[in-house]
Amino acid sequence: MTRAIFVFIASVLLLLPFILNEGGIPISYQMIICTPFLLLLGIPHGAIDNILYLRNNPIKNGKFIGVYLVLVGLNIGLWVILPGVAYIMFLLLSAYHFGQSQFSHYFNKQPVIYKVLYLFWGVSIISGLVYLNVEEIQQIMSQHKEFAAFYSLHQENHMFYIFLISTICTFLLMIFLTAKKYLSLETLLMEMLVLTLIIACFYLMPLLIGFTLYFVTLHSFKVLREEYRFLNSERVVNSISNFIIMVTPFTLFSIAGIGLLFGLIYLNILSLSYGYCLLIVISSITLPHVFVMNSFYNLLFRRNFYKGHT
Amino acid sequence: MIFLEVLTIPKDDAIAFTFFTGYMAMLAASIFFFFERSRVDGKWKLSLLVSGLITFIAAVHYYYMRDYYLATGENPTALRYIDWTLTVPLMCVEFYLLTKAAGAKIGLLWKLIFASVWMLVAGYIGEAFNPEGGSTSHSVLWGVLSTIGYIYILYTAWFGEVAKLAEASNSDVVKKGVRTLAWFVLVGWAIYPIGYMCMPGGWLNVAFGLGSQNVDLFYNIADAINKIGFGLVVYNIAITSSENLKTA
Repeated sequence: MTRAIFVFIASVLLLLPFILNEGGIPISYQMIICTPFLLLLGIPHGAIDNILYLRNNPIKNGKFIGVYLVLVGLNIGLWVILPGVAYIMFLLLSAYHFGQSQFSHYFNKQPVIYKVLYLFWGVSIISGLVYLNVEEIQQIMSQHKEFAAFYSLHQENHMFYIFLISTICTFLLMIFLTAKKYLSLETLLMEMLVLTLIIACFYLMPLLIGFTLYFVTLHSFKVLREEYRFLNSERVVNSISNFIIMVTPFTLFSIAGIGLLFGLIYLNILSLSYGYCLLIVISSITLPHVFVMNSFYNLLFRRNFYKGHT
Repeated sequence: MIFLEVLTIPKDDAIAFTFFTGYMAMLAASIFFFFERSRVDGKWKLSLLVSGLITFIAAVHYYYMRDYYLATGENPTALRYIDWTLTVPLMCVEFYLLTKAAGAKIGLLWKLIFASVWMLVAGYIGEAFNPEGGSTSHSVLWGVLSTIGYIYILYTAWFGEVAKLAEASNSDVVKKGVRTLAWFVLVGWAIYPIGYMCMPGGWLNVAFGLGSQNVDLFYNIADAINKIGFGLVVYNIAITSSENLKTA
């Protein structure tokens, strides 16, 4: 069990009874509850992409930020021209990224079969989130005309089959990798338990709370911890407070950027709904982040980082 | 005649069935642990004695609980918690004894006992003082308070002192055994909250209509898995370690 899994299990056990007792929580309240966690733990895990990428690639910081911004711009362009494609690309990249961070510490290289596992695992949890909260999602999307392009993508029966197939494939792949001795039996059991718990969490909790619980504990907390331990082993940071200072500038910059966009919407300068705008922003940050993290994990594998750092 | 009346088990009563099976299984496990105690090395004798005591105390309580249940049809809550108050701290003693050779201090034992008693007292208040007809907020509050004790034990077994001492023991048998016990805490002990949530006002009772009789069904299954399973893991560590010593 990793510490991230422990934090996830402990959070589920402590929060679930209260949430079940509350019954349906309106999305506006969910946003009030979840936003601080997403801002304070979600954004920081991607706030040192430049530092991580530069450890593995000999390019200048300015050039990296330039390429980063071009990718963000291209992604925004795709959202304007082909929102459906941009949306699917965002979900697939996120799925791969979630899977990669979930399994990274078990491996020391990334052959194709591991990458397939990352993708199926991620598709399983994202499609599970959508399928198990399809009514809530459709209700939110029906309130804003921009989401009309994705309405057909969220049909319950489509999501059911995607969820079912990806989950079965994930389990079969994990069993196959265990049979081939790439994963231990204990790892297989733990990952089966975790996937089952995540799906149960999505089923039992409201959409945003369920996702935030997964995203903050199992994903962001784990990645932040890996980033800190790596930079600490490289003597780039020597304490957690150093690390916090390191992630602060781009975290604040991102929060200010989102605040600015919301301000423009509020003043009717930008004619988008808040939700749609946030989706584009998250997708645009995710695109370069996924590539950076892929490079980061390759570096960790080359350095045999996980030996003694799980 | 009275004896026959007490022992009548309705054919479709799974709870009565598990009370009887649980009683016999606990008794059989106790006899097994007590007899096998003579086969293991001296340093493991106390661990096996504790394993035997856990199942023996449970067997005696199950003897009374099955009759109480058959006579009244009600949950023997008080007897259940008296049993747990004795046996769960003894399980914590097992963790201490296993890691003692690696330097476990008495403080570890007291911390684990405190956490287990906290878990049980909160659970007992949640269950025994549930208002008439059931109160969800009461069940949630005491359930969550009880969970804090559980999470502490879970942390200690997986990452805390117990895990660190097992790692430092330089014994693969102890490392593997402690990890197996940690799995029991993670999965086996997690069956109890399912039973807890079946009581009136509990979430499974309210949302899925699982009646309060299911409380005992889940508790009996969990007890059989955890108490006997826990003992068997300790037995396996003891016997493997003793055989390794003989062949060394």
